[in-house]
Amino acid sequence: MILFSIMAFAGGILVGLSRQVNGRLALSTSAMESSFWNHAVGFVFLCVIVLIFGGLMPTQHAFDVPLIAYAGGMVGVVFIAASSWIIARIGAAQTAVLVIAGQMVSGVALDIILDNAGNPIARTAGVALILTGIFLGRRKKN
Amino acid sequence: MPIYTIAALGIGGLLTIMTLLNGMAAAGATPLFSSWLAHGVGTVTALILLAAMGRKPKEQRSKPPLWAYLAGLAGAVTVILTSFTVNTPLALSGTIALGLAGQMVFGLGADMVGLFGLKRRLPTSTELISFACIVAGSLIIIFLDKG
Repeated sequence: MILFSIMAFAGGILVGLSRQVNGRLALSTSAMESSFWNHAVGFVFLCVIVLIFGGLMPTQHAFDVPLIAYAGGMVGVVFIAASSWIIARIGAAQTAVLVIAGQMVSGVALDIILDNAGNPIARTAGVALILTGIFLGRRKKN
Repeated sequence: MPIYTIAALGIGGLLTIMTLLNGMAAAGATPLFSSWLAHGVGTVTALILLAAMGRKPKEQRSKPPLWAYLAGLAGAVTVILTSFTVNTPLALSGTIALGLAGQMVFGLGADMVGLFGLKRRLPTSTELISFACIVAGSLIIIFLDKG
C-alpha cells in the first residue's frame, strides 16, 4: 500500500515536472512548439512501451471508440500549450492549484449536467471552499 | 478577477473535457491505448496548428537545452503509474488525491528555487491559505462526492 501511495504521489510530481520542463521549452521556442514536442516524444515513448510490453488493444473493439473520443488529443494540445504559457507567468504552485480548482468545479458542473449521482452537501461545501480559495488568492496586479 | 486566474481556471476546465473524451477512448480498450491515441492525435494536431500559426521570429527564439524536449516522457510515465494505481486499493480517489499532493509539493518547491530557469518566487501567507482552501475543497469533492 505504501508502494502504491508513493507511485500515485510520484504521478503528481511528474505532472509538475513535465509542466515545468514544457514551460522552460516554451520560453526558448513557443507554447505550441512545446506542446508539439510533449506529444511527439510521449507518442514515441508509448510506442516503445507498447512494442515491449504489448497491452495496447486487448479487445477487438478498441477502434470502435466514438469519433468524438479522438478529440481528446486535440484538447490535450491546447491544454499543454496553455499550461506551458501560463506557468512562466504565475508560477508552478499557482498554476497547479488553479488548474485543479478549475478541474474540480467544472467536474462538478459536468456531473450535474450529466445527472451523475453524487453527494450535494459535499459538492456544495467543496465548491464553496474552492471559490473562497480562488477569491483569497486572486492577484492584485499582473 | 485577474486574467491569468481566469485563464488558469479555464485550463482546468479543458482538463475535465479532455479526461471525459480520453475516458471514452479507454472504455473500449485500456488507459494505455487511450493515452497512445491522444498523444498520436495530439502530435498531428500540434503540427497543423504550428503550420497555421507560424514559428516565432528568430530574434525571439533561443536554443533550449536538450532536456527541455523531454517533458513528454514524464507525462507518459504518469499515465502508466496512475492507470496502475487506480486498480489498487487506492482506487481513483486515492490516486487523484495523492497526485494532487505531489503536484502541490513539487509546485511550491519548484517556485522556491526557480527550477529549470523559470522565475523564482516565494508564496505569500495569503497565497498559502488560498492553496489550503482549494486543496481542502478538492479533497472533499474527491472523497465525499465521488469516493
